[in-house]
Formats: sequence, C-alpha cells, structure tokens
Amino acid sequence: NLMQETRILPPQKTVELPLRFETNAEGMLIPPNRKNCNPEVLRCTLKRIPDTKDLLGKVKLPFGLVVHPFRDLTSLPVISAGTIVRCKRCRTYINPFVSFLDERRWRCNMCFGVNETPEEFLHHPVTKTYGQPHTRPECTNATIEFIAPQEYMLRPPQPAVYLFLMDVSHSAVESGYLQIVCDALLDNLERLPGDKRTRIGFLTYNGTVHFYRLSEGLAQPQMIVVSDIDDVFLPTPENLLVNLHESKDLVQDLLHQLPTIHNVDAEGEIDTYSALGAALEVAKKLMSPFGGRVTVFQQAIPSIGPGTLKSREDPNSRAGQIPTANLNPATDFYKKMALDCSAHQVAIDMFFFNSQYIDIATLSCSSRFSAGDLHYYPSLHVQHNPMEVERLKNDLERYLTRKIGFEAVMRIRCTKGLSIHTFHGNFFVRSTDLLSLANVSPDSGYAVNLTLDEPLTDQSAACVQAALLYTTSKGERRIRVHTMCIPIVKTTAEIHNNVDCEAVVALLAKMGVDRSVTASLQDARDALLNAVIDPLKAYKAGLPQSMTVGGLYVPKCLRLFPLYIQSLLKHPAFRAGVSTRLDDRVFSMINFKMQPVGYFMQDVHPDLYRVDDLNDEGAVTVGGREVPQPDLLPLSAESISQYGCFLLDCGWRMFLLVGRQSPQAFIKNVLGAPQFSNIEEPMYSIPELENPTSELFHSFIEWLRENRPHHAPIRV
Amino acid sequence: MTTYQEYILQNEERDGVRLSWNVWPSSRLEATRMVVPLSCLFTPLKERVDMPPIQYEPILCTRHTCRAVLNPLCQVDYRSKIWTCNFCYQRNPFPASYAAITETHQPAELIPQFTTLEYQLPAQPTIGPVFLFVLDTCMDEEDLQAMKESLQMSLSLLPNNAMVGLITYGKMVQVHELGTEGISKSYVFRGTKDLAAKQIQEMLGLNKVPGSNQPGQQQNNTANLPANRFLQPLHKCDMFVTDLLGELQRDPWPVSQGKRPLRSVGTALSIAVGLLECAFPNVPARVMLFMGGPCTQGPGMIIDDSLENTIRSWYDIEKDNNKYTKKAVKHYEALSTRAANNGHTIDIYACALDQTGLHEMKCCTNLTGGLMVMGDSFNTSLFKQTFQKVFSKDSKGEFNMAFNATMEIKASREIKVNGVIGPCVSLNVRSPSVSETEIGIGGTSQWKASGIDPSTTFAVFLEIVNQHNAPIPQGGRGTVQFITQYTHSSGQRRVRVTTIARNWADPNTGQSHIAAGFDQEASAVLMSRLAIHRSQNDEGQDVLRWLDRMLIRLCQKFGDFQKDAPETFRFAENFSLYPQFMFHLRRSSFLQVFGHSPDETAYYRYQFDRQDLTNSLIMIQPVLYSYSFNGPPEPVLLDSTSIQPDKILLLDTFFQVLIFHGETIDQWKKAGYHEKPEYENFRQLMQAPVFDAQDILATRFPIPRYIETQQGGSQARFLFHKVNPSQTYNNTMFGGQQDGSAAVLTDDVSLQVFMDHLKKLAVSSAS
Ligand SMILES: [Zn+2]
Ligand SMILES: [Zn+2]
Repeated sequence: NLMQETRILPPQKTVELPLRFETNAEGMLIPPNRKNCNPEVLRCTLKRIPDTKDLLGKVKLPFGLVVHPFRDLTSLPVISAGTIVRCKRCRTYINPFVSFLDERRWRCNMCFGVNETPEEFLHHPVTKTYGQPHTRPECTNATIEFIAPQEYMLRPPQPAVYLFLMDVSHSAVESGYLQIVCDALLDNLERLPGDKRTRIGFLTYNGTVHFYRLSEGLAQPQMIVVSDIDDVFLPTPENLLVNLHESKDLVQDLLHQLPTIHNVDAEGEIDTYSALGAALEVAKKLMSPFGGRVTVFQQAIPSIGPGTLKSREDPNSRAGQIPTANLNPATDFYKKMALDCSAHQVAIDMFFFNSQYIDIATLSCSSRFSAGDLHYYPSLHVQHNPMEVERLKNDLERYLTRKIGFEAVMRIRCTKGLSIHTFHGNFFVRSTDLLSLANVSPDSGYAVNLTLDEPLTDQSAACVQAALLYTTSKGERRIRVHTMCIPIVKTTAEIHNNVDCEAVVALLAKMGVDRSVTASLQDARDALLNAVIDPLKAYKAGLPQSMTVGGLYVPKCLRLFPLYIQSLLKHPAFRAGVSTRLDDRVFSMINFKMQPVGYFMQDVHPDLYRVDDLNDEGAVTVGGREVPQPDLLPLSAESISQYGCFLLDCGWRMFLLVGRQSPQAFIKNVLGAPQFSNIEEPMYSIPELENPTSELFHSFIEWLRENRPHHAPIRV
Repeated sequence: MTTYQEYILQNEERDGVRLSWNVWPSSRLEATRMVVPLSCLFTPLKERVDMPPIQYEPILCTRHTCRAVLNPLCQVDYRSKIWTCNFCYQRNPFPASYAAITETHQPAELIPQFTTLEYQLPAQPTIGPVFLFVLDTCMDEEDLQAMKESLQMSLSLLPNNAMVGLITYGKMVQVHELGTEGISKSYVFRGTKDLAAKQIQEMLGLNKVPGSNQPGQQQNNTANLPANRFLQPLHKCDMFVTDLLGELQRDPWPVSQGKRPLRSVGTALSIAVGLLECAFPNVPARVMLFMGGPCTQGPGMIIDDSLENTIRSWYDIEKDNNKYTKKAVKHYEALSTRAANNGHTIDIYACALDQTGLHEMKCCTNLTGGLMVMGDSFNTSLFKQTFQKVFSKDSKGEFNMAFNATMEIKASREIKVNGVIGPCVSLNVRSPSVSETEIGIGGTSQWKASGIDPSTTFAVFLEIVNQHNAPIPQGGRGTVQFITQYTHSSGQRRVRVTTIARNWADPNTGQSHIAAGFDQEASAVLMSRLAIHRSQNDEGQDVLRWLDRMLIRLCQKFGDFQKDAPETFRFAENFSLYPQFMFHLRRSSFLQVFGHSPDETAYYRYQFDRQDLTNSLIMIQPVLYSYSFNGPPEPVLLDSTSIQPDKILLLDTFFQVLIFHGETIDQWKKAGYHEKPEYENFRQLMQAPVFDAQDILATRFPIPRYIETQQGGSQARFLFHKVNPSQTYNNTMFGGQQDGSAAVLTDDVSLQVFMDHLKKLAVSSAS
C-alpha cells in the first residue's frame, strides 16, 4: 500500500538476477537449475508470460525485451566449432533450452522442429566424453560466442577503420575542444581496437572541407582543402585513410598540429561556416570501400553546402508547447546519409558540443539510422565549462578504447506464437527480425515490443534468442548468442507479481519518445500516466474486495513504478512547463531510445547519498580498499538539510551539495577549505587529502565510478 | 656614301628596325603598286650595349592628340629653347630643366645616334615579377624527376624580387599554399569543372579581405592579401618550395589499361589565370605551364582518355572531324585574352612523344608573349638547357625577360598603321595614325605584349595615304615613332623610344630610288608573316596561290625583261634572292602542313611570328655548310647537289642542327680512321662541324634538336626534306646519277623548274 508506506526505496541498490526455473517444463529435458541469460544483457518486461493474448490485454503492462547485446562481460565462453549447430527450419542456434528427444535428436525451442544432432556434437570438447550433447558448452551457457566459419562471411572480414570528422568553424575552434580530442587520440592511439590492418583518417571542415594526406615517406602531413562543397569530391584516391602503424608518426604529428592550424587563420580571417553535410558526403565516399566508424565532433549548426540547417527553436517558448515538427528532422539529408553509410557498413557516431541550437533532432539521424552512437556535451568550453571538459576527456578514453564490432547484424528469434513489432535503438531494420548494425559498441542498447499472436497454452515456457554476428577489431567473424527462457502462466496475479519494473519503465520511455514524435509531447505525457494507472487498476481488480479500499495497493515488484514514471515526467525529455532547450530535450529522448537500461535508470532516477558522515559500517572491501556503503535516500527535499553534505549521482555527472551548516571537519578534511565561506564555487574536483575522511570519500566516489563504464565528473 | 646594304644594317643595329622599303613613294597609289607592302620588322627591346641609362621621363609634345616623344629628328631652336614636333609640327618649349642646352651641349635624346633611347622611370619599383608554376604530375617517374630538378634549379636563377606560386594538376588541380609552418596545405579542384573566375576566387578564399584593410593603405597591405598564401616572395619560401617540389609525387589516380591519364590542363590554367587576375592585375607575372601530355578532361580537353581515339590530325581539323578542337580553342582563347588584359604571360613547356594540344593552346603564348617549348621528354638536354636559358642574362647581367609591355606607334600624317603581326594583343586605342585597313592586329595604335624579350620581333604594316598628285611632304622624310613601355625584370618601369625616318621619293621620277631601297630579306620575312597569318583562316592552296601571284607581280614590276622572252628576265641584285626565299617558303613546314602534326605546325608558326630577321631567314631557307679536305668550310646551296660522299654537311634549320656524313666519310668513320694518329686531319674534319654546331646550340633559344646522321641514316630525312630537289627520281630516270650527288625522293619541283616557270609567267604579255 503506497499510501501508507513512504520509505519505499531500498537502502541499497538491488541487482536483478537471472530468471531461475523451479520446475522443468513438461516433456522437455531441461536439467534442473539451468542458468538463464544475464538480465543485464537480455531481459523481458514480464518475468512470466501470459498464455493468451486476452490475458496479456488484461495485464495492461508493456510486453517487450530490453537488450544490451555487446555489453562488456567478465566471462564469456568462446568456442570455435567446425559447424555451428542450428535448427534447420528456423536457424535458431542450439541453446540450453532445447530439448533432446534422445542424444541423436533435439527439438527446437522456437519452432519445435526436430533436428538431428551431428556426430561431431556428441563429443564434448573439454571433458572428452561422448554422447551427452546437453553437457556441451552450447547447451550449458545462455550466453556464448562462436568463432564463425567461412560461410558467415560475405566478404573477408573488414579491418578496423576509423575516420574522425572535426568541426573547425570559428566557434568550434573557440570552444577549445580540438585540443581535448587530439590529446585523447594521441594518448589512446595505441589502444584503438584493431590489428596491423587498422586504418585511420581525419577530416576537418568549416566553410571548406580539409583532408589530410598521411602517406608514408612524407616529412609532414599534407592538408588538402576542397572548397567546392556543393559538389564535394575526394581529392586523392589514397593516403587519406592510412594504415595506423605504417603512418603513425605522421598521424601523431598531425594530432599535435591540428589544434593550432585552425586556431587563428594566418590572415586573421574568420570562417564561421560549418560544412558538415559536405564532410559527411566525402566521409561516406572514403569509408564505403571498407566499412568502419566515422566519428563526428560537431559544435556549430551546419550552415553551408548540403544538409544546411536553420534554427527552429524559439528561445522564448522553451517551457511552452513544443511543435511536434521540431522533435522530428527538418530534412531527410542526414537520414539518407545514414542509410547509405549503413549499406556500406559505416556507422556515424556524433559528439555535440554546441552552446547554441544545432538541431540535434535532425543531425542525430545520421547516427540513429546507421547504428551510431551519440554524445552530448552542452556548451562545452575549455575555460568556461570544466565539468563537461572532464566528462569529455574521460568519455573519449572509454570511447576510443572500448570494444567495437563491425559489419554486424542482430537477429532476435522468439518461440512460435510471439513476434516482434517495434524496435528501439540505433540501427537499420533489414527485415522483420533482423537489424543491420554497421557498428556495435558495448554501450549500445536496444529494445523490442513483442506481441502474442497465437496462444501459448500448451507450453510451459517461451524463449527468445538474440544473435549478434559481427567482425571483431582484429578481423575475426564472431557470433554472440544470448538465449532466455521465460515461464508461461495463466493468471494476471502471477504476472503482476513478476514484473521487471526497470525494464517496463525503460520500454515505456522509449514508447513515450515514439509517441512524442508521432503525436505530441502532451500525448506522450498522458500515455505515460495511463501506463501507470491502468496496470494498477488491473491489479486492484484481481485483489480481494477487502484490500481495495483506502489504499493504493501495488505488487512488491512494482512499488517503485509510480515513482519512476513521475521521474520520467520530470525528466528533460518529457517535462512540461520548465524551460528546456530543444536540443537538450531531443537529446534526452534519443538517449532514452538508445541507452542500455542500467545507464537509463541512473539518468531517470539518480541516487542520493549523505556523505558527510561516511563510516565503516556495512562497508565492503574492494581491491583492498574500504568502501563505505551509505544508505540511498529518497529523492525528496525531506532528505536533504543544510546540516549535511549530499551526493547526487546522475550517472553521467555527480553533484555534491554542501549544506551551510555542514560539519566543519568535512569541509576541512574533504574539500580542503577552512570553512564554508571559503569553498570555491564552482568547484570541479575534490582534492585528495591525507586524512581518513577524505580517503573514505574518495574511495566511495571511485567505487561509484568504477561500477559504470563511463565517467561521471563531480561538481561541488 | 655607304651602300644601301650597309645603311640597312646600321639602322637595324641602332633601331632594331628592318623595313621592306627604305625609300618611300609619296603616293598612295604608287605604294600599292609596289606589291610588297611598306612594313617593317621591329625588335623593341633589341639589346644595345651603348645606350646611356637615362634616369628621367621623356619629354612629350604638348599637343594632347599627339604626345610624341622628343627625338633627334626634331628641329630645335636652341636660342629660344623651342623644339618642333616632327609629327604634328607643334612648337614646344623645353622645360626649365633644359635651360642649359646648346648646340654643343645636347641632352641624349637630341644626339643623332640615339634615335633609340631608353628612359628608366624613377617611379617606385612594383611587386614581382610573379612566377606561377603550373605542373603536370601525370608523367613517368623519370620525366617528373627531371621536371622537378629543372624547377628546383630555376629557383636559384629567378630574380631576387621574384614571387613564386605553385599549382599542380593531374585528375585534380591543386593550388599550394606556400610558407605554412608544419603541415603543408593545398586547395583542390575537380579537373572536370569549368569554374568561373569569381568561383575560383571565392573557393581560394581570395575574396575575403582582411579586416584591417582600408583604402589608401593598399601598398602596405599587399603583404596581408589572401593571395599571399599562394604567392610568396622567393626569399621567404625558397626552402618550402624546394621541399614541396621534392615531395611532389606522380598523380595518384590509377590509369587503367588502354587509357590516357586524366589530365586537367584547361582547369589548371583557368585557376592559374584566375588567381593572378585577382591577386596581381597588371603586375608582371608569368604562368609557367608544364605539360607531359594532352588535356584529357574538363574544359580545354583535346582528346578523351581512351587510347582507342587518336589525337586530331590536320586531316581531322580540315574536315572538322573532331569534337574537341573548337571548344578547346575557345576556352584557351578566353583565358589568354584575360591573361593578356592583366599583363600576364603564359609559357608552355610541353614534353611528350605524342601531341599535347599546342594547336589549341597556341593562343596562350601568342597573345601573351609567352614562351612555347616543345620536346619529347623533360629528361632531355634539349628541355633542360632550353629551360635554363629562359633565365639567361644579357651582356649587362640583366634578365632577358621583360613584362607587361605596351607598344605605341606614331607616324607622320602621310602614314597610317594597318596593324601588327606578332605576339601581342590590341589595346584598342584609336588615333589619327590608325588605318581603316587592318592587317594582323589592327584598328589600334597601341598593343600589349605581356611577355617580351630582346629578341621579340613584331611585323608592323604601314600604309601611305598621301594622294598621288600631292607634293612631296614637308621635310622630305616620313617619320615613325615606336614608344615601348615595359617593366624590367628588376621591377623598374622603362620606356624605349625609337624614331625612324625615310626619304620620300617622287612616284613619277623616283622609281629607281625606290627600287634601290628594297630590302629583300626583310621583305621575304614580312611576306612570310603575312602568308602564315593568312593561312590561319584561308585554305593552304589559296595562300600558295596568293604568294605566287605576289611574286609574279613583283617580278613584273621590278624585273628587267622583254615581253614574252623569259630568257631576257633579269632582277637587280637586291631582288635576286627574293624568289628563292619564296621557293623555300612554299615548301616549308610553315605552309605545308601535311606531314606535320597540328602541334608541330603551331610550334613552328609560333616561333616564326616572334623571331628576328636572321633567325626567320634561317627558318625560311635553312643554312647548309660543307666541310671537306679541299679547303675551309663553306656555305653551299641548299640543294641536293651539295650532298657529296666525301663531304660533311652542317644543316641549320633553326629547329634542328644536323650533321650529315657523306657515304665515303661514313665508311672511313666506321673503319675507325678518326681514331688513328696517322689520320689526324680526318679527326679534325670530323670535329669541325661539331664545334660549329655547339656554337649554334649555345646561342640559340630554344635549343635546337641536335642530330648526327649519315648517308642512308633514318634521320637523314631531315636533310633530304629541306634541300632543293635538283636531283629527283624524275631527273635521274633521264640523266642518271652523274656527279655522285644524292637523289631526293620527292615530288616537289626543283628550284630551277620553279624559276623557269616564274620567268615565263612574269614576262608573259597575257598576265
Ligand atoms: Zn527451430
Ligand atoms: Zn606633336
């Protein structure tokens, strides 16, 4: 009863566990306690699947999957099999949830077709036993990776190819981002995923597009300017994308010089234009023969040549009604560009640094439809915005060095009766169940809405399998297969008591974004409200009469559901009545669509801790360091006071609020200021002081940061 | 009393002028009857070692329609300090600074020997000269390397004040920024695109004016002009350009089997002209265009890239059988005109085995006074030495190149100017001296030659307008003044003034005087220029017929004969060689185009239209020397009878210098006699023509092709092509080979046949 309970937030973060099976499905030979897929990789909004469409309708909860297929994993079984065993009818990969009729025959858990077990499969590669196919790694791991044989390649696996596009328009150069990007590249050049075939190239642009010839044997890089931006072309057929190892000296030389060459034009000319469209066109030409990753660093609105955009934002009505058109692209130039790129296995990642409107709604199309990645550092400026600078620096390190998969496709198969009707994320949908992912990164998340087409009444469980075929940065073709099995139930109660609340909220957010751009923001807000009211009503209907008065009863698993929906409605993506820059809003929306659920939750509902009284109580030891574990506090004004210091962890950023009456010791020992009034504002780093309080504090912050792949800078 | 021959040579030496006639009939009608028009070859910057450096401005006639320059032919009243203009008879007071002049204390411009005088204007030297190198990168490694080395060498030869720029082209055109630190920077253009001047300038960022630029500060601000990114003083960018050239690579675009490289000559030149036009209008500048093959794409293409299609021949041009020539000519003419209007010169250095498009591009050099060099490869001494000579210096140690010249012609009232044939364009300045009848570039009294050197020679055509019955004009002499203003390679502005005068003769009584003043050499060259000029538009046969008609008329007018008796025909000595010149001209590659590529013809005609009299005569009638044991080397007839087994011949056609060993000589040589001490005299005989040939090679620009061959050698065709076929197969069929001289395989008529026929026609009462 949410009306009585106010303290609903658990004091510690809960971790979603893989679904376990208490009972074996009838007629299936699933060994007991077979481990299901890790929910951080693949999860379903409903942990119990209704057996009929009718029942699903009564539940009023969204039904779908949230997938994080290329997540960094600590352990991943990799096998190199001569033939990969798959269902001959539906091509499902053999998995822990198939049933063996006998050792020679297995039944597919998707289409129920019966397949022969190949002779080879009867030999266990590790134990060297024979005739126990269900003990093979393929049948014991819900997540597994295959090294793909020849037939999985349409062409020889591509090398890792990286092309960097940098806006050097006047305001972009002014922001100082070039130095940060070039430094990050210099620091991480050796760590770029790849092998001896890795290629790299650079383009810059303002009113003209600049190429850099890095041919071996040159004493200096050569910069080539193409001014004909309405009809842009490749100025030379070679040495624009060079072998990183052969031309490393020139690449380093270029990166050392880049921040200054465009700094001030020798003649004092100011070039305020930004010919992004033209630059993308040549980037496409340059990359098409290989495939690979294009990284765009954009500061100014494209203002010349193809893909020119105009400001659509009325700064005076940022809090009012948002015309739906402004949430949609102004031109299909960038979408077409993305589709062309995707067809050539090229993905476009974008980093935005704009301080003024740049039209992310339109520009983002180049990433959204090419399976690219988007990053946003609003108003980044080396001097004026150190927090975003720190975030960029750290993000770049992650970005440049994280794993990357090239020329990938992902197919999601479901047990007969289930089907996919909508995908969320950045990709190109090639067919009903197949996504084209020119690039895939450990930070990209996807989701699907499912429908129940046929009754599942004669089964006890349904399965979904996500298979990602990709090329590693070392030129190896691999398939990563995730399979999940979910029990089928026949009552609403069973469903309502087994909901993955975070998955539901994540899926609702994605659906809300779709609603905003197809109907209107207000429509989306209404729909989100209904999305929380309707299932609770439905739940209530199933409760005994006695429990339906004088309270708001929710299943335990959904007790945070209303809170999360409310957080969504207050989030820049969906909020109303609060001044929100159009680009901020649009980026939040896109982020909802593409973020893995873990990142998403932190964004929607940040964690609040009191940190002025950190202590050893309940502390955990990580890597020989004591990490205090303060309680999570409700996100409420009640939780904070001027007598303490509070840390708000928003996932991508952290904020430390120092109360006016905070303990003097904390201010001195942790912030290094004699008293409250001496604390500098703003302050973007916490000094490392040699005292236990400071050490505890840093240990806690570090622990928070280590638990996510990206960095979160702190602001005091 | 000196002979006319001496008089002519003296005048040439002093004024650089050779007239077809040195005594002028005072009647318009009579002048037209003289067949060879009154005209002259004028070498405005003819090298003169004895000229004093005059450091002030010339004194001009005060009549504003006249503005002639004070000269030694003017009448001067030393007492009242007044001079009378010899063109308009205006009496002009001398300026105050001339107060001290007397008959014995004359300024240079009144001293009789200085009818040609050069004034060095005290004004500020201008920027430049600018050298914009436009380089082809579609050539094999060897040629590219040779071109790069020649260019790197040339940097050390450029004038100290030079500015340089670099454009390279292949499939794309690259304009290089000079003097950037660290990264080298260039702007690239698609070679297929015909960009307007304005677009080019915008794309190079030349239209962006730095913020601090204010009118009135222009002089100081030239250092900040955006164009300075591309054109920098040599001393600032010497190392940079050397390195840039060093790193220059072959065009990286792949060329597939059966294809020509894509070569964007037209676009490259268009960008070069556009860059200079915007950055340095009227500043001395040369575009030095290097080509290793024809333009195969974009504006100005002369052939596509498929090797299945061959480059147009004369046959294709006459039949209008190719789709590129006309368009290409239009493109290059437009560019050349723009360059000329801005005072910029275009040079073409074309080295390739096949044609490169000189036929279409000849206007580039012809309108701007640029240099055209044609060779087989950049990796030949012919090209290397020729290119080095571009930067040669005269006996005073000054560069043999001048820029942005204008030539103005003033004439006495009885004379008008028809026009000029030579490497220049009209400035469209009307004056009372301009004739209604145009010959060559007419309708103006001023011409512009963006590039000019001490050998550049113009053919100037004049017209006598005095009425037949009018008296001999006042003063008894006709006067013409040439005022040539130009920028010296040092940046100094100079004015060269040449004033000539010739006696008037009464048309009725002065016939013999007029005839005696005939200069057959000058006339032959001037008529040749006219004939070549006509052949640009007329059919080859029509031009030959016209030449024949003129020759017959000249014989009729000035020959001595009895009607219908050819054997009585006699010509005075100063006419006697003229028919022979015409005979060789008719056979020359200037008028006979078949057997030559259009490019070769364009090149030959280009050279002919700018060379001085001596070189022109060699071109019309090559010089042949014979070397034998019988005595010192002697000039011999350009005739097949001169080809003897025991003689060595040295042929100079201007374009080729050829040494030919007669059959016996060749046998001795093959037997190695010249290496044996006892035959020292044979070794000397062998070496004599080689030394003489080296002398020619050392002094001539461009360097001629040097050939050594022998009787039966394949290269001997160059000799056999030139000599008069007095012994042809036809003759030998009847008479056999009697004197051992070689037979020439030709269908041409021999000089003898030609002369006989000419006499017959000249004396015929029918014509
Ligand atoms: Zn199946
Ligand atoms: Zn006068």
